Formats: sequence, structure tokens, C-alpha cells
Amino acid sequence: MKTNHPPLLALGLTLITSAAVNAQQLTPEVFTLDNGMKFILVPRTDEPNTISAGWLAKVGSVNERPGITGISHFFEHMMFKGTNTIGTLDPKKDADFRTAQKDLRNAMNQETWTTQYQRFFAGEIDDPWNAVNDTPKLATLRTELKTLMDSQQGRVNSEAISQLRKELGALDNASQARAVESQIKDLESKQKAIGSIIKDEFDKIYTKGGGNRMNAFTSHDWTFYFINVPSNKFELWCWMESDRLNDSVFREFFSERDVVHEERRLRTESTPTGIFQEQFDAMFWVSCGYAWPVIGWTSDLNSYSMEEAQKYWNIYYRPNNLVGIIVGDFKPAEVKAAIESYFSRLTPGSSTPPPVVTLESKQMAEQRMNAQGECQPQVEVRYHTVPFQHADSYALDMLAQILNGRTGRLYKALVEGREIASSAASQHDSRNYAGAFSFSAETKGDANPGQLEEVWYEQLKQLQDAPVSDLELQKVKNQAAADSFRGLQANFRLMIQLAYCEALGGWEEINENPKKLQAVTAADIQRVAKKYFDPSNRSVATYVRKASAESGGAAIADDADIAALPAPMQARVRQMAAQLLKETDAAALREGMAGLTAQAEQMPPQMRPMVDFMLKKMQERIAQLDSKGSAK
Amino acid sequence: MKSTSPQTRLAALALSCTTVALMCAANTPGDTKISPRPETLVYPPLNFTPPAATQYRTTLSDGTTLFMLPSHEFPLINLSISCMGGRNLDPANLAGLASMTTGMMRLGGTTTVSANEVDEKLDFMATNMSVRSQEWVSSASIDCLASNFDASLAILIDTLKNPGFDETKFKIARADALEGLKQRNDDAGSISAREWSYLCLGNDHFESRQPTGASLEAITVADMRTMAARIYHPGNMIISVTGDFDPKTLSAVVEKALAGWAKGAANSAPVGPTHTIAPGVYYVQKAIPQGKVIIGLESIQRDNPDFYAYTMMNEILGGGGFSSRIMGRVRSDEGLAYSAGSSFRAGIFYPGVFRAGYESKSPTVALALKLIIEEFNKMRDQPVTAAELDIAKTSAIETFPSVFASKGAMLSVFVADEMTKRPAGYWDNYRAKISAVTADDIQRVAQKYLVPGKMAILIVGNWADISKGDLQGRANMTLFGPATELPMRDPITLEPLSNGSSSTAVAPVASGG
Repeated sequence: MKTNHPPLLALGLTLITSAAVNAQQLTPEVFTLDNGMKFILVPRTDEPNTISAGWLAKVGSVNERPGITGISHFFEHMMFKGTNTIGTLDPKKDADFRTAQKDLRNAMNQETWTTQYQRFFAGEIDDPWNAVNDTPKLATLRTELKTLMDSQQGRVNSEAISQLRKELGALDNASQARAVESQIKDLESKQKAIGSIIKDEFDKIYTKGGGNRMNAFTSHDWTFYFINVPSNKFELWCWMESDRLNDSVFREFFSERDVVHEERRLRTESTPTGIFQEQFDAMFWVSCGYAWPVIGWTSDLNSYSMEEAQKYWNIYYRPNNLVGIIVGDFKPAEVKAAIESYFSRLTPGSSTPPPVVTLESKQMAEQRMNAQGECQPQVEVRYHTVPFQHADSYALDMLAQILNGRTGRLYKALVEGREIASSAASQHDSRNYAGAFSFSAETKGDANPGQLEEVWYEQLKQLQDAPVSDLELQKVKNQAAADSFRGLQANFRLMIQLAYCEALGGWEEINENPKKLQAVTAADIQRVAKKYFDPSNRSVATYVRKASAESGGAAIADDADIAALPAPMQARVRQMAAQLLKETDAAALREGMAGLTAQAEQMPPQMRPMVDFMLKKMQERIAQLDSKGSAK
Repeated sequence: MKSTSPQTRLAALALSCTTVALMCAANTPGDTKISPRPETLVYPPLNFTPPAATQYRTTLSDGTTLFMLPSHEFPLINLSISCMGGRNLDPANLAGLASMTTGMMRLGGTTTVSANEVDEKLDFMATNMSVRSQEWVSSASIDCLASNFDASLAILIDTLKNPGFDETKFKIARADALEGLKQRNDDAGSISAREWSYLCLGNDHFESRQPTGASLEAITVADMRTMAARIYHPGNMIISVTGDFDPKTLSAVVEKALAGWAKGAANSAPVGPTHTIAPGVYYVQKAIPQGKVIIGLESIQRDNPDFYAYTMMNEILGGGGFSSRIMGRVRSDEGLAYSAGSSFRAGIFYPGVFRAGYESKSPTVALALKLIIEEFNKMRDQPVTAAELDIAKTSAIETFPSVFASKGAMLSVFVADEMTKRPAGYWDNYRAKISAVTADDIQRVAQKYLVPGKMAILIVGNWADISKGDLQGRANMTLFGPATELPMRDPITLEPLSNGSSSTAVAPVASGG
């Protein structure tokens, strides 16, 4: 497949040049309250009756440090748990619960960091945080904490109540039934009397108010809380958001952590490549705060304390670090007045957020990770580049677009051309303090990740050796221009884009970016291709498919028989066993077994376990094939 | 979520707000005393009448329906053609044909313009063109700069009328599709979706039928030509356009673009499954730290008079996020899952499925399941509380306008309603019907439809750890009766792999080749 392009004339495209260069200029109303909180308002009539509203906290995992990784994301959970007004029947009693829980959890953590960590380091236990390994002291503390949490939630004795209900159902004696009923009532009223929480009241108020899509997300650099409300309910948003920014109490601080563990299992640990991507990030970023996952390392997730969270809140969740963004069907004067009424109550922080001081170190040598997973064989090659709004970031963005798409170079070279990839793409990701450019592709047919990597280097060399053609460059500029309109078409998306720009540099970038992309030249692209893609600046992750126990290939990876073999033999045996599972001819296998048995006589004794293993597997495979045959 | 109801989650007029209201927001800063509770706020009324499709509808001279909704905010135009027929038209031995056909219409050029030339033209104009098929509808669309509309439309219509099905591109597309098949067992979600559809619909209904290596190999260009002609022709299409255009001239432009395209007969509605769900607990072994669980049974059709009560039942039970019971108990109270909830699809042509689902670490799968089943039972045994019903109903009514929030959303509703012949008045009456639902209705509907003896439970995860249950002994899987292991399937053939211990419940997939 050639990478050159049909001449313009042949396509009849001479007239279509940069048709869309005059990109939209957004003119929001922007103002800052006395307490430092900034607001960006974009009234739009094209989506009537609804407003997308959100606020951005300029904090993300990059602001963390080892020991508290994941705490930024944890705020995203805590912020929905209410205040002294929302979510509680009795703020005083609730505060007492929280203090008592905090003390217990701190005691548990002390015990874990000392005794349990020591036992772990000594090899006595496999996981210092797992409850199955609890010391008696820890088990007691854990039970006490659980009881406190249940009590706070008005759920203490709920097991006993459900047991009594079951008994009640089986009773036919009326007086006995009355006695059980009164027992239940008694326990229930105790539950209520003890409890201090109104569960998920924050959500219920918004839901009833017609709010939808309420959620939040956390990234490396920023955190964003958002919702759509009916256009007549903007004041509800002001009430709810200014209340939680004024008076968040970290309710359910300890029980909610289990939810985050489940989130981590869901997103990272149960996906085909999640755990590897996390490790690749940790390897790629040498010194800066992008090295740890947004959701946090498991040990930190268990460790961060209420005190740490309070400190974090006082620094990063004060109005001088927050920006509200409102897009939709409203009159700016009314919305502005409501904002002033409600958000002026937020007290300014006593300190400005500290600067992120650790710069990413220059990478001095290629880094490589070879993973085996239940995934399509694939490769990622990643390079350190530049942060958001760096002068070179626009040329790098355009370089990625030249490579992408069906008429882009990667598709033509890898998916068509050599036919060794089923997909291929590149991406430039500029963050607040550093950036990365990555190439990734998945294999097709018998191709291996190494081949994909080779073709990438060829592509890179072409970009370095010759400027991209005028046609290619104009194509990606046309696309960038059209996309700049597309990105403004929906309230919600526009709000997210404004937040993104504001978090990383300033909302004005939404207007500047299209112009800067249009200004990129072929020479710029060639220059950045030469500047950022040195082999010593790259990290490579290759993934090959590991046959899993379930997928038939199985027995292989986790087989105890293999584990019992001497280490140097294991890889080879796995490979042979995988081959075996592809064999569909039982007769051929029988022949193979006979041959191997004969050979075994001449083999040195240390090879014997391997031969035995193979014979066993061949026998199993024959049995499998026979049973399949007879079933049909 | 296709056919039915975006309206299950979205809906409404400020019924409660048609009362009075001064907007506090209009006050001068500092002047307002902030109300101690949000419930005491009063809001200006929001009067909303759902838009009438007829207002935007016209017909071309050949009778083809055209919806036009101009919007001049940006110099973009989006035109979409929707057709009856999709995967339901696949012959049993050619699973994946409709999908391959539409994919290749996008990839394979036309009879007079090469595939590469089509791609280069579209990409240079920054036009996004898509041709896709779903369960029983197919679509084709262009999203382009207004200045490139005529040229883009010409390519789209040429593609649909005279698809090229370039052989080289076809070979590549088929090879890429095969790579997709290889990944079918990598993620618990795809295993779960596949086995759940087999449990609900049987192995040979078009919604559950999946392409195999053999069925993809068997597809020929001739098959694709036949399929393309069957789906895309006037007589089986509805056209909708939004963006920066003048409606007066646009209909003539579309008319001209379609000129000379022979009109055919519309495809008939899809047929429902003959299979009924065999209740029980099923699992697929996969070594991951979380079990992925679905609990469900057949639901209803959208014209069922119980639809509104059913919708509210789902909201309260598990559809309403943190305001619903399943999320409350499984996530909020117990921290057993990150996402947990329920959803249902009220079928248009035949009943859909109601399902609850969650993911939880292996030892607490049984405990979460126990809690959810308790909640199912509670829906039948006790009326929902007034507060729950109030939240669910008010939310449905208050979010109703968002169904029609954008021009694109309005067009989707208009097209879907016309295509599926939704009775007139549905949207006009929606809020009143929701408003009329009572706690008794919900309990009656729960008793009628959430029948425990008809439910199937599917778990994908590490069964040895899951079956044992939690450390405290609050629940294990024996609580739910015997469990049947479903074997993992070969990702290419979908034949059961033999290392499953008991595969009695599952016949090999009826596949092509």
C-alpha cells in the first residue's frame, strides 16, 4: 500500500480548502466572587428548558503524594454524602459517630502499619489489610467499627430483625406472633433512635427536583462535579452545591472505602489490560505525580485518614481553587445574581494551593514491559512530550491526526498495507505538568506485537525524513475546524470542554485552540517528529495472549503440574501444551504419544517430569477429542 | 438500550411548580437569606408541551417521510436515513451479514467511485459518514459542514444505491472482524452479555445469535448486495435532517438526490423468540476478582397498560440510581458494589427483559444477591412508601422535557415513533399517566411480573470463591439452589469448550458454516 495520496484535482477537491477556518468564538460571561470563586456562564437557546451546571476543583491525583494516593478521587465519593443539613437526622450525634469511627480506624491503621506490615514483611501473611489475617486486637477494632457504622446508618441489629421476620412467617400461634412482632418493633425503634443518617438524601433531593446525569469525575489534574437541571431549577443547584462546598462533613468516610475498592476491582483488576496499564503508567512516569493511578494504590486507599482529608479539603476545596461552569437556557443576569446570593457564603481558604514542584525527569533509556494477559496481542509505544498549551503541543496534536483515521497513515500501513493490525491509533495527551504521545495497535492474524512496533518506527522515520503533504495537512485542519464546531453543539459537552480548558490553562483555550491548530505547518510537524521521538525517550508495552484456564488454553497457565516443573522448563511446556490444544486429530496424537514414550527412554532423567507432563496432557486431549466426536 | 423508553429515566413538566414563584435569583446579592432547606425553595413555572412531529414532517413526491429541524447556531448539517431491518434479516447460517453489509457499504466504495476515493473525499471534507445496522433497524448518516452538504449527500446516496463492496476491503474487514471474535472471552462483560442473551432468547433468535468464524467466512459479496438492496430503498426509509439549512430548499435537494431510486416494500417487524427462560442459577467460570451478576426475567411490551406502573416499579427498585433500593442497599449501605441497579426494556414487537445487575468481589457476590432478592420480594410483599413514589414520579415528570432537549433528540423520537407506529398521544399523555400511578399499582405489577419462579441468575466469575460466600457467613450460594455451570465457549466457533464440568443446560450454538 502506498502512502502517497491521489492529487487534489483528481478528487475534485480544489474548491474545498479551509472552508471552516473561521472557528466559532465563544463569549461567555466570566466573573469572580470576592471569595475567589470564578464562574463561566454560556447562555444557549438551542437546547431549551435545561441547564448543564458544574464546578471544577483544580485538584487531581497529581497533587497527591505516596501514602495518600487516591484521596482526590475519594472526595468525589465523599461530596455526595451530605452536610450538617443534608443527609442527617441529628448533626450533633452524627458528628460524634464520625469522631468515634475516626479514632477506631486510626487505631486499626496503626496496628496494621506496625504489626500487620511486620508480619507481611516476615512472610507470615500474604496481605496485611485482609480481614482474614486480622490479629485479635484488629478483629475487635474491626467489629467495633462495623457496629458503629451500622448504628450510624440505623441498621444495627438488622440481621436479627430479618431473622425474626422469618420466624414470624412460620408462626401460626397468634400470641407468639404478637410477641415476635413487638420484639421486631422494639428493635426497629432502637435502630431509628440510634441512627443519625438519612441515606443518599443529596441524590434524592436532586432526583426529585428533575436533576439528571448527576455525577463527578476525577483525573490526574482536575475534578469536576456536574448535573443537568430543568431551567427553572437553577436555584436548587445553587442551594445544593454551595451547601456542600460550605459544609461537607465526610460522612461514611470509612464504609464508602469498600465501594472504592469495588470500583478499583471493576475498572482495573477485572478488565483484560487494566492492571498492566496501571503498571505501564507507573513505569513510564519517572518522577512526577502522574505515576500513580487516579484511583490510588490499594494500601493508600486503606490508609488515608480523616485528618488528611480535612487538610486536603482546606487547601483544594476552597473557593479560590474552584470554578463554576453553567451552560444552557438561562438569563445571565438572573443566574449571576443567584450565584452571588449563594456562593458568597463560602469562606476563602487560609492558604493557596501549593505548587506542584516535582518535574518529570528526563528519560535516559528505553523502558520496556512485556505482559501476558487475556487480551488481543497489542503494543503501545509512548514518549514524553510537552504539557498543555506548550508551543509544540499543537503540532503534536496534528501529527497524531495525520496518523489517525481511515485515510491516516497508520490504517493504511498496518490495517490495510501489511495487514498485520486490526486497529492502530496514535494519541497526544497534554496534561498540566507534562505530556505523552502514544502509538498503539492490536494484531491481526499471526502477527506479533514486535511487527507492529517495527512498522511504527518506519512510519516515524517517514515523518522525520519528509514533510507531510499539503493534502494531508489540509485534511486534518478541515477536520479540526469542523470538530471545533461539533464540540460546541451540546450543553453538556460544551460544559465539560470549558472545564477541561479552564482546569489546564484557561477557558480561552477553547477559542484559541482552533486557531493554533490551523497555524501548524508541515515543517512544524517534521520538527516535532524529530524532537520528541528519540528511542531513549520511549517506553514500550507489549501484550501477548495468555491462554487462560477457562478459554481452553488453560490448564496451561495455572496448572499445578506446570508449577511443579523446574522453572526453566515451564515456558516451553506451556507453549507445547498450547499447541496441543489446537490439535484436532486424535490418531495423530496417539502416534505422537508413542513416539514420545520411545524417545523418553533416551532422555536425561531431569527431562522426565516434562515428558510425563506432556504425555498426561496428550492423553487428556485425546480423551477430549474422543468425547467430542461421540457426542455429535 | 434501544427500542423503548428513554422516557423511563427522563421526563417532565414542573407539575408541582405550576403554582406561584418568584425567582430568588432576581434578588440583589447579599439581599437573600438562604433558605434553611432546599425543599422550601419556590421555582418559576416551566411550561412544556412536547413538540408535535407533524409540525416538522413532510413527504417527498415518492411518499418518503422527511423530518426537518433547522438550527443555525453552527455551520453544520446532519442528515440521517433510518430503515426497518437489521440483524433480524440475517439468515441463520450467515450471522453477522447485516452488520458486515453496512460496515462494507461504508468501507467498500461505490460501483463508480473507488473505496479509497470515497474515504479521501469524505475525510478531506471533514464529513463523518456512517452506515450501520442494529437489531432490527439500520441507519446511514452524514454529519458535515453545511458548505459540503450537497457533495456529502451525493456520496451517501451513491453509497446506499450503488455500493461497491470492494473485494480487497472486504477481505480486510473480514479479517478484522475475526480478530474481534478472538476477544470475546477476554472481558467478563462480553461473556455475560452473550450468555444472558442465550438464557433469555435461546440460541437461535436473531438478537442472541452471534457471528462465528464460519458464518463470517461464508458471507459473499452477492449476499451483501442482496441485503443492502433489501434494507436501503425508498419505501423502507425515513429521512431526518437538522442543522444550518433552509427547509424550503432542503426538501428539493433531498428529492433530487433520491430521484430515480426505485421504491420497494417496507420490511416487516421483527419476530419474537419462541424460547422461554429456564429459571435457575447459572455461572461461567472466569478467574477474576469480581463476580459479574445479572438477575432477570421477561418484562412487558410498551403498549401494555401496566407500562407506567412497571416503569415506576423499576425506578424505585433499581432504576433510579442512588434514590433506588438496590443501589441503597448493595452499594450505599453495605459497600458491596460500585455499580448496582436494575433496568428494563419494554419491547415494541415482543416482550423485553427486566434485569438487575452488579459486580462484587467474589466472597460477597452471594450476600449482594441475597439483598437484591430481598428487595424483589419486598416490592411484591409491601407497597412502596409515599416518599419513594413521590421521588420517582416527580423525577419522571420533571425530566420529561429533556427527552426533547436537543434537535437531534427530537428527531430520534419522531423517527422511532413513526417507524414503530407508536399510537398518537403517547407523549401528550405521558406525564398524566405517570402521575396516576399508585403504590397499589406498583405492588400489583410487582406481583404480576416479578415472579421469583421465572427468574434466571447468571454469574461470571471465580466460582470456587463465590460459592463459599463471605467471611462472616452472612450468605453463600447454596441459598439460591443448585447452580448449573455453563461452559466457556470457543471464541471463534462459540461451541462449548469441554472443560466445563456440566454443560447439560446448553446446546451448541446454532451457527453457520
